[in-house]
Amino acid sequence: MYAYIIRRLLMLVPVLFGVSVVIFFTLRIIPGDVAQTILGTDATKESLAQLRKDFGLDRPVIEQYITWMSGVLMGDFGESMTTGREVLPDILNRFKITFELTILSAILSWIIAIPLGVIAGIKRNTKTDFTVRIVSLLGVSIPNFALATVLILILALTFSYSPPVGYVGFFEDPIRNLQIMLLPSIVLGTAMAGAVMRMTRSSILEILRQDFIRTIRAKGAKERLVIFNHALRNAMIPILTIIGMQIGVLLGGTVIIEQIFSLPGLGQLVLTSINQRDFTVIQGAILFIAFVFVLVNLLVDILYSYLDPRITYK
Amino acid sequence: MFKRKGFLVSLLILLGILLAACTSEGENDNSDSQNEGADDQEAAEDVEQVLKIANDQEPAGLDPHKTPAHSSVRIYSQVYSGLVTFDENMEVVPDLAEEWNQPDDSTYVFTLREGVQFHNGNEVTAEDVKYSFERILDEETASHIASYFSNVESIEVVGDYEVQFNLSNPDATFLSNLTNASAAIVDQEVVEENGDLQQVAVGTGPFKFEEWVADNRVNLVKNEDYFIEGQPKLDEVIYYTMKEESARLSAIRTGEVDLTTLTAQSADLISNEEEIDVKDYQSLEYSYVGFNVNSEPLDDPKVRQALSLATDRQAITDIVWNGDAVVSGPVAPSMGDWSIDVESHELYQNDIEQAKALLEEAGYADGFDITITTASTYDDMVDTAQLLQQQWEEIGVSAEIKQIEWGEYIDTWSNTSADVLIGRNGSGTDPDRALNYFFHTDGSANVWGFTNSEYDSLVEEGKVTVDQGERQEIYNEAQNLLLDLSPNLFLVSPMKYVAVRDSVVDFVPYPHDGEDIVEVSKQ
Repeated sequence: MYAYIIRRLLMLVPVLFGVSVVIFFTLRIIPGDVAQTILGTDATKESLAQLRKDFGLDRPVIEQYITWMSGVLMGDFGESMTTGREVLPDILNRFKITFELTILSAILSWIIAIPLGVIAGIKRNTKTDFTVRIVSLLGVSIPNFALATVLILILALTFSYSPPVGYVGFFEDPIRNLQIMLLPSIVLGTAMAGAVMRMTRSSILEILRQDFIRTIRAKGAKERLVIFNHALRNAMIPILTIIGMQIGVLLGGTVIIEQIFSLPGLGQLVLTSINQRDFTVIQGAILFIAFVFVLVNLLVDILYSYLDPRITYK
Repeated sequence: MFKRKGFLVSLLILLGILLAACTSEGENDNSDSQNEGADDQEAAEDVEQVLKIANDQEPAGLDPHKTPAHSSVRIYSQVYSGLVTFDENMEVVPDLAEEWNQPDDSTYVFTLREGVQFHNGNEVTAEDVKYSFERILDEETASHIASYFSNVESIEVVGDYEVQFNLSNPDATFLSNLTNASAAIVDQEVVEENGDLQQVAVGTGPFKFEEWVADNRVNLVKNEDYFIEGQPKLDEVIYYTMKEESARLSAIRTGEVDLTTLTAQSADLISNEEEIDVKDYQSLEYSYVGFNVNSEPLDDPKVRQALSLATDRQAITDIVWNGDAVVSGPVAPSMGDWSIDVESHELYQNDIEQAKALLEEAGYADGFDITITTASTYDDMVDTAQLLQQQWEEIGVSAEIKQIEWGEYIDTWSNTSADVLIGRNGSGTDPDRALNYFFHTDGSANVWGFTNSEYDSLVEEGKVTVDQGERQEIYNEAQNLLLDLSPNLFLVSPMKYVAVRDSVVDFVPYPHDGEDIVEVSKQ
């Protein structure tokens, strides 16, 4: 088990190296010039050249990569080209917010999706089942940004309510923080819930048909035990896979939702820096997102073996 | 048994790694966060004099000498002062300089107010003025406004409060260039302490910089020692970064913010709300079609004139701007007497027959194919491109629209890699900027490859002509010449909109300053 985890963690090295190469060189191929973006149309050629020189953009690309990479290996992700802020602390600061948003929407989606999915699976082809299926289909099909914009407008127009502006951390002011996070969590949670609900339902259906369930029922076990201790637990593997993927994606920043709700998360950071061609920030953020994604997937793999002892890693 | 334990341990380790990121960082800015909490509480208790502004973009930095982004300017212009400024009629009036005189046409001597302090307590002297402008002109600074002051030959400190600018030649634009928010007087000590001024702001303006929380907000507080008695009236100004129009709209509706800029469409949506005033003003901007005048067939002035005649500018006003724009030449109409009446100009008459005749003369009787490039980021530019596509079709010009993302757009603009580019220009506060800088052969923003010796000598003369009447005549001639040669098609100058809650008193936006808040208070 430990050996497996260590092996997986070691695999991070080639993955991150690959990501760093791809992102670094792609950024230098795409059109756009950070100096011109920063200085705008007023700048003289001299000012532009000076700024490019300050950022080291006048040196050979390979040399730029080596300079950057050796910094990263020492834990120094460099400074933002536009704001001059250090990149790594900025990323971690933003990640806190994205992390909170992800966890809140995930919890929200589980609370709704798993029980409803189980019920729909048990009461297959009844009215309840159909209702749940329609609701989940809606959850999956309504685009995030549409739901978000409609929610904002309806709340503002009918209840004169809009979430407080200006993000505050959870530990500074929990109530205000939750007020700010509630709407975006609902929006993201709804979309996540739809997929999880559908997966729970089909997974439960499949498990309930299996021999071991019949055996357990034949032993006279209570239905509640059959469902929660045996069926659901076995049905969790595919559900977990989907949840893992969803969380991985969300942790990479939910660009649109963060933008609509003015949350200063990782997604906003990436978007702003791409628009400004702030290379150091984009590179750092993408590397970080890849790191988190791999880690979340590893976590899911380990959870598999917890839920299904037959799965072992050597 | 081991397996399960092993699982739990590894789970904890992994969770630990994942969380380490957040928590370790959390500790770092804990003190910061507590401050934030305190500020917010303060704000809540003292609602009256705190103005909350929705900023549609994150500031790109706060260094006035290095950052032209509007999201930054609107903030640092409250923190810094310049030597002179504009009054509401766009007349140059004293700011840090009490008065000035001109021993000769190319020399300016400014007398500073005495006893003015930077927000850190240092006194403003002539040395600071000299330092600030030398910093702007220093190539290492890579300042965006270095080009405005390129004819400053030397700056001399005459006395503690007296500073002299020696120009290489007479320059009628010098004073109005000094009103630019980026021509701010900064404190050498602060620059040296911090390397640059992107993250700190210590000026002499009505508000002091307090805090900038990335992608979230910037707080300014009242400068109690501001050199103009009785100003500002507000205790605090908070700029919240809210990039989404719908979020700004709902926040102004519910009173979460007091002031926000809006598009014409949104302004229309909330114009009936009781608690909100929508203020509009004519901007100094105009939209244009830029031509690469060195590429066929646009290298022929007749082709460009034909396209001008085929363009229905009124339709652009009506459809793209909801009717709230005025037809514009190279100098926006809000510049008053400086701009000429373009509507009577021959090429603004939308005459399809004449356009076709011109095309035929140029050898394109059957029209031609062309690509219109526009920024996908701005709806108005995309809409303009679509309208032009339809309008030009009438003279046989078949256009394809290419939308590109903002970073690529800037690149395309500076390299002239598009034959036809839709854009918006700020025409500045002096006609020199609109005419010299965009269209002189050596103009730093003349990316179009346009060159005409008659035009060049006109705008060169305009720049050194100090007599206003004479200068106006020169610029009238230059504008007409520019319209005739049509290196760009100048389209319309849109209105701008600011929505304010009715609790905000005495807010008046001007074309040259859409956010003058020193006189503003809340009730």
